[in-house]
Amino acid sequence: MGEVIRLENVYTTYEGEKRPAIRNINLSVHSNEFIYVVGPNAAGKTTLLETINGLLPPSGGRVYVFDRDMRKNGRKIRCDIGYVPQDFIVDPGEPYTALDVVLMGMYGKIGILRRLDRRDFNKAMKIMRSLGVDELANQPMGKLSGGQQQKVMIARALAKEPKLLLLDEPFSNLDIDSQQRIPNFIEKLHEENDITIIIVTHHVDQVLKRCDRVVVINNGEIMADEKLTEGASPLKEFRRILRVEVPG
Amino acid sequence: MIWLELAIMQRALIGCILAGLLTGLLGVFVVKIKLSSIGYCMSHGAFAGAALGVAMAVNPLTTAFMFSTITAFFIGPVADKARLHADVVTSIAFPLNMALAFVFLTLSPDVGLKSNVANVLWGSVLSISYYDLVYLISICAVTVALIFLFWKELFAIMFDRKLSEADGINTKPFIYFIIFLAGVVVTLSLKLVGGLLIFALLFNPASTALQFSHNIKRIVFVSPIVGAITCVSGLFVSLFLDLPVSSCIVLVSTLVFALAVLLSPKRRRKGGGVYAY
Repeated sequence: MGEVIRLENVYTTYEGEKRPAIRNINLSVHSNEFIYVVGPNAAGKTTLLETINGLLPPSGGRVYVFDRDMRKNGRKIRCDIGYVPQDFIVDPGEPYTALDVVLMGMYGKIGILRRLDRRDFNKAMKIMRSLGVDELANQPMGKLSGGQQQKVMIARALAKEPKLLLLDEPFSNLDIDSQQRIPNFIEKLHEENDITIIIVTHHVDQVLKRCDRVVVINNGEIMADEKLTEGASPLKEFRRILRVEVPG
Repeated sequence: MIWLELAIMQRALIGCILAGLLTGLLGVFVVKIKLSSIGYCMSHGAFAGAALGVAMAVNPLTTAFMFSTITAFFIGPVADKARLHADVVTSIAFPLNMALAFVFLTLSPDVGLKSNVANVLWGSVLSISYYDLVYLISICAVTVALIFLFWKELFAIMFDRKLSEADGINTKPFIYFIIFLAGVVVTLSLKLVGGLLIFALLFNPASTALQFSHNIKRIVFVSPIVGAITCVSGLFVSLFLDLPVSSCIVLVSTLVFALAVLLSPKRRRKGGGVYAY
């Protein structure tokens, strides 16, 4: 398995802050791994994801994705990364349909001056269908519920057929039905494709069966980075790693 | 309507239509990318440039164009270098331009020429020349062509700049492009309503169109039409009531916006309340 992400002594400090939000991060992620990054609020989980995809430049250390330096090749690399931000909610009056939002995910990858064709539209609709939001394609994005918007954002991230998928609290706004359907969809996606997935969450009660590894982050530092024992219950493994009580 | 046969009126009418179309079109991008203070900044940059022209005894419109364009050119890069939102930089540049304008005016030896500066500030639609129309038509063609070419990138940036970057789009050149184009358009439209009121033409038609549709493509199509109609209506109102053209254009455009807010189907919801946006 080739290395997809390599972080070497990475520090990321926000503008105007003295204390780095993440510090001394060393992380190696291999192809097709399914990783959970867990930790309490403000632990540095989102900062870690945005440092990996280059939206936040590190104040120290090096970030390599697909064996390329993120500082030099950020934009090209990001064309192969699907990213779902945390709590991204569109205002009710915003003039974009759900399909518009999904198609936008492909714009960077197809490149400047090129137009979307029928195949791109069909691909977007297929992904929306898999997530159960195809009937909302022509609805204004801002009029959808939080859970529906979340699914559209996941569809947007998948539309460009990424090799690396970064999901920041992807299950936070979902209704009960979707809390079952979306994790199943992500597991199936991982099973059928050569895709590396990193899910950031502070809810440890929604562990997917396919989880390979757990990275625990707190106060901006990696506290634990452990592979789950094959065949063991993911929830029990989580309990062992986190040493916290979780349901089940 | 015998006065419509006069060349001066024909030029004014065509100028109103072109400037209305242009500011209406560009206004959608300025509003959606949240460059709200750009209109203020550009227009006062033009005012400072005109004052410099008077001080140097050269054509004030030429220096107004140069000053406004240079201001536009620096807003984007300076904002990015200093890691500030473009709105913050334009808010700083706005009073700076005013201060420079007053400095240039005190340097001017001939008080009489300062009326040229007033023309740039308040507009003088009836003085639109054949060359002004050629410039307006050219910039209209360039703007439409560039927006057509880079539509998908601009569309994504209007939705969310950070997400566009996450998808691999280089957003900086497009933001600079809109700022620069707004500067050029504002300067070329100065004769219509003048520097003090030009920002109303950038914001009002776009804000009006936004009240009626959830489809950004429709808004980009409707906003220039609203801009052109309000400019022409303002011109006619001014002719019939013998009031200043620039004031009438802005009053009509504000009235249209107020009606749009009242009638907007987007602002109603089942519970009887209204959305605020």
